[in-house]
Amino acid sequence: MTLSAIGLSAMRSGRIILHPTSVEIEPGARIGLVGASGSGKSTLGHALIDALKAQGLQVAHVPQSPDEALDPLRSLAFHWHEAAQARGLADGAAHQRAIFSALKIDGGDLRKRPWGWSRGMQQRFVIAMALMGTPDLIVLDEPTSALDPVIAAATMNLLDRHLERTNTAMVLITHDLGLAARRVSHLMVMAAGRLVEEAETGKILNNPQTSEAKRLAAHRNWMEVPC
Amino acid sequence: MLRVDHIWAKRGAAVALRNVSLSLSAGKTLAVVGESGAGKSTLIASILGLLRPSAGAITWDHQPVSSCRPALVMQEPRSAFNPVWPLMRAVREPVLGQEQSVTNERIARLCRGLELPMELLERRPREVSVGQVQRVGILRALIAAPPLILFDEPLSALDAVTQKHTARLIADMQQEEGFAALIVTHDLGYALAFADSIAVLKDGQIESISDPGSFVTNPGSSYCQALRDAAVALGSIEVAA
Repeated sequence: MTLSAIGLSAMRSGRIILHPTSVEIEPGARIGLVGASGSGKSTLGHALIDALKAQGLQVAHVPQSPDEALDPLRSLAFHWHEAAQARGLADGAAHQRAIFSALKIDGGDLRKRPWGWSRGMQQRFVIAMALMGTPDLIVLDEPTSALDPVIAAATMNLLDRHLERTNTAMVLITHDLGLAARRVSHLMVMAAGRLVEEAETGKILNNPQTSEAKRLAAHRNWMEVPC
Repeated sequence: MLRVDHIWAKRGAAVALRNVSLSLSAGKTLAVVGESGAGKSTLIASILGLLRPSAGAITWDHQPVSSCRPALVMQEPRSAFNPVWPLMRAVREPVLGQEQSVTNERIARLCRGLELPMELLERRPREVSVGQVQRVGILRALIAAPPLILFDEPLSALDAVTQKHTARLIADMQQEEGFAALIVTHDLGYALAFADSIAVLKDGQIESISDPGSFVTNPGSSYCQALRDAAVALGSIEVAA
């Protein structure tokens, strides 16, 4: 079933921070939502999540900071149990063992509060919760910002495999077109609270039309190296 | 020249640096790459004299590093400034007591180089963009013309486009001012694009020191290879078709 949200918009302090925007997502689609800081990417992500949840759909969210997902007063075991219940799973124990091992957080003590784990481990814990069950969509907002590169790359590869196996749709929110380009087939470019360009990844990389897409494409990596 | 000579350092009971040696000549850039906990921040603290190594020596032209009054550019630009002071007050702090007209002239020149409108310095850190505050941080580091500047993850709080722009401005200012730059970063792409040499730090030890060309063609250890592969997987560097 195509996921569809029409006329998403948002205001803050009387100012429009997201102009009316419609999003359609095919099952299993991988979409990158890219733009500079403050362009409205996360706002659109939040609006999309709210709209789809209001339709009764299951949406998993990995916010930019684990602080947005984890209650500092609750143990990690509590969070895990709560997420499993929300997805209608008994306790998620089997998934927990496999995913914790794959994300290399199996050494963490779930009895601790979030701040008892490093930021990187917290972020991977939130990703593990998002991969529980079979949500209709996973929204990942800068999911590897707190991770070291080697672990970040392994985590993104794991996400790729999971999404492919479960045919789950993904929206990857990032300021880094280089990162998005390797992970998604379709890009949505935002600037000043508007969706300014939308096309297949290759098209935007090779032939960007708007000034924002041109800027992102021109700065998508530090350098090319020989293979 | 900065010389870090066989230093050992502890953080609490844990050994954070083990027999680390490296050198950095005037006007050159050394990037120190490694993951969280590798010892990068301990290395910076040791060079700045904030942490006394348990063994080994750190010198600038055979003198204690403090003699050259090195500057530091921090990772989180906004938290590097007093939130209630106008930025100008923080910028002037390292040169208090110097002739004001000379300082004004230097600020104006550095602002031009860093593409910062002068009037922006009258604002407080929260009133300008994070990319602009980081450039003000660089301006403050440059104001007293130190021969050595340490950059602790200077781009990690910035978005991808601003990162590349700021890196170019740092390199241009280095060309003009001639300072030695020690840049701690987890972004191998940045290191490869801008450093003269790259030191990889792992578990408190130097894994390798090489020039970017050699690193790309022959990363050496399996960890260095993993760093290179991760940089490709994350789109930081692209493999030519």
